[in-house]
Amino acid sequence: MLKFWRNAEFVRHVRAELRPARAVTVAVVALFVCGLIWLSCWSFVQQDLENARNGFQRYGGEQWMARVAMLEKTAFHQTWLLFFQWVFAIQGVMVTLWSLFACAQSVSGERDRKTWDFQRATSLTSSELLVGKLIGEPILTYFLVLCLLPFTVVGGLVGGISFGGLVSAYLLMLVGSLFLGVCGLFLSTLLESGSRGITLLVGLAMYFLTAGSMGMANSGFPGVAAFSPLSGIIGLYSPNEPVFRRLPTLFGQPVPWLLLSVLLWVTFGSWIVLMLVRNLKRDYEEIRPLSRWQAVGCAAFLNFVLYAMVNPGRFGEAGSHELMSLMIGVNGLILFVIGLATLTPQERLRVWWRKRATGAGAMFSEDGLPWPWLALSAITAYALIVWGTLAWNKALPFEMKSLERAAVQLLVVLVFITRDVLFLQWCKLTHMSRPVFKGLMYLSLYYAAAVVLTVLFGRGSETNAMRVLSLLTPIGAANPEAEGFRFPASLYMGIALQAGAIAAIVAAIGGRMNRRLLAVASGD
Amino acid sequence: MIELIDLRKEYDNLVAVQDLNLTIPQGEIFGLIGPNGAGKTTTIRMACGLLLPTLGKAVVDRVDVAQEPERALRSIGYLSDFFAVYEDLKVWEYLDYFAHAYKVAESDIPARVTEVITQVSLEVKRDALIRGLSRGMKQRLGIARAIIHRPKVLLLDEPASGLDPKARLQLRNLLRSLCDQGTTILISSHILTELEGFCTSIGIMEKGRMVRSGRIEEVTAAEHLARDMRISWVGDFTAAVQGKLVGHAYVANVQLGADSGTFQFAGSEAEMAALLAELIGAGVRVKAFAEVKQTVEDLYMKLSKHEVM
Repeated sequence: MLKFWRNAEFVRHVRAELRPARAVTVAVVALFVCGLIWLSCWSFVQQDLENARNGFQRYGGEQWMARVAMLEKTAFHQTWLLFFQWVFAIQGVMVTLWSLFACAQSVSGERDRKTWDFQRATSLTSSELLVGKLIGEPILTYFLVLCLLPFTVVGGLVGGISFGGLVSAYLLMLVGSLFLGVCGLFLSTLLESGSRGITLLVGLAMYFLTAGSMGMANSGFPGVAAFSPLSGIIGLYSPNEPVFRRLPTLFGQPVPWLLLSVLLWVTFGSWIVLMLVRNLKRDYEEIRPLSRWQAVGCAAFLNFVLYAMVNPGRFGEAGSHELMSLMIGVNGLILFVIGLATLTPQERLRVWWRKRATGAGAMFSEDGLPWPWLALSAITAYALIVWGTLAWNKALPFEMKSLERAAVQLLVVLVFITRDVLFLQWCKLTHMSRPVFKGLMYLSLYYAAAVVLTVLFGRGSETNAMRVLSLLTPIGAANPEAEGFRFPASLYMGIALQAGAIAAIVAAIGGRMNRRLLAVASGD
Repeated sequence: MIELIDLRKEYDNLVAVQDLNLTIPQGEIFGLIGPNGAGKTTTIRMACGLLLPTLGKAVVDRVDVAQEPERALRSIGYLSDFFAVYEDLKVWEYLDYFAHAYKVAESDIPARVTEVITQVSLEVKRDALIRGLSRGMKQRLGIARAIIHRPKVLLLDEPASGLDPKARLQLRNLLRSLCDQGTTILISSHILTELEGFCTSIGIMEKGRMVRSGRIEEVTAAEHLARDMRISWVGDFTAAVQGKLVGHAYVANVQLGADSGTFQFAGSEAEMAALLAELIGAGVRVKAFAEVKQTVEDLYMKLSKHEVM
């Protein structure tokens, strides 16, 4: 598998995309553009020099003379450095964007062209298909980068960038484009057809989310900023950028931005690769991103990574309190995503249901209802909250009551997420088209209605508003005045109400499961 | 060679394939017949691992398709009713890709590609881009893809739909020659004439269930189906023939003309010979007395209730 140049899928892309005429055209155009950029850079530096000389002639003085002397001395290096910066940036943007979008249309495009079944019916393994598509789909851009590489290397070296710096920068570009490519491929497996609009929208969102994560550099989790490739290469452009001169930490130890970027992309990319290897050759209806144990592992991994990246200095006086509340919120999101990723297809759930009726189906089953796994993920998350709080105890001292409070908060979040995920599971058993999407829309409507009710009943009374919120939404758990287990009664009533809702949804799922199948019913 | 054991597929609230059991020995050409929606495509897709069965398993060449898909797929060639191809490849590149994808030995690939291109008569287009081929040529290329790795089993889902008569004949000849070499073929169709004189066994599917299956003669015999007979004579013997046939214990549906007619006979070979002797004994100058061979279509029409899901 490592010999990717012999991978059948990769060779197919090379043959289709890099026919000699096209390759020569691309190389010539690239070199031409490269030449234009160099001339622009030269012109820019010369203009700067000219301006300095004019300034010296007009105003005279030491400062102007020193500036002219400095620019004359560095003009050559500056031209090449500027050239390197521009071409490297173009290479970076092109290779990452193209990698993301080419991969994002890969599998869905094959489904559209109806060639996908023929690939699935070959002996190529999921891993081989993954490697072939990941490197093969954006092959034209990789070729373009290779064409320009000698010039950027020369430009960078003449411009004063060390060889190590250049290698690191290109390593970052490569790993970043592979990471985005893997994300694109995953998106592509989830789309039944290659709808370009959706691909473009989601792809752009993913791209800007990744690039924009550098805004987290000043947050309580500065390491998250390393998701952005910009954090790793900003030193090449602006060595004195204050935010990025301060290194992020892992378990309190400073780590270079570039290393952390690579580390994050490789670890997160590995999870996506796992999902792809599991699902790439499956029929669309049978795609389930993670097994349930993997989902629990993924929840633990995400918690672990966040705790490793904590910057205790960014949390206020109530440090551990604030950190725990933040982690509960993050875990709500993680649990929901994991619930979505482990919804059971109707066919599998029906088989499990029958087994369960005969006493053979276990509660913790791959094909059973998702709620036991959500509970297990929440318990794991709580264990990690305890571990994380103890680990950061020196920097963020905590009281036992904080842990009690966190337990109640997590319980509330778990109950609401379980209700919502089971509702989506029920939607999957109906005849709705795009059941999960529609289910999400219904949930949005529900929460919007809850807010309206809160406004209606809570007019003039904040307490009443909190009661309604606690009954209908998990927001009540964020009550800042609660200590230990002592939350307002409405919160516990809310838990009981939602537990009832869960029981009702499970009964509705049972009703669907117990319906007779059409062909069997009419055939018997 | 192909074993489908308690194979079942459920979609939403219906059963597409219902507890199907089927064994197809090596070298057999098995025709899967049934109306649209009977479950033929689902069965074939499960047999080649494109769909996971809800219950049961498909075993091809002693390999469980769901358990070891990559290994099983080395023995399976799959062809569906659509012939989608990679338009931006050349003909030989396309076949070379699939030869590699099916893990054909590297040293055998060039010769095999040439051989298959010759088999489907695309020699002159070997170096042409696929996007420039006609529809018929693309379909032939699809057939070449399915056999590039010398599969022991060919699963063909409505393979001739859209083929012109010449291409159909070529496909039929190609499949016959593959069968002679020991390839087992499972072919589905709702166009029964497509399978005529070609399949050694048939299976009739309806509403996800196999209504009947087996070798054509066996299916006919097992059902004790009345045979269609044709008789013709010289001279004015219509009344005599009618006298002998009408009221005969094994004869039904007698339709006679001036010098020929048809009827259905439900007796054995010996009883048929006895009837002929009776007619001749009655002085009828019999010119022809023969069984009208049943077509697959006739069989289907007799055995099927024509039900779909």
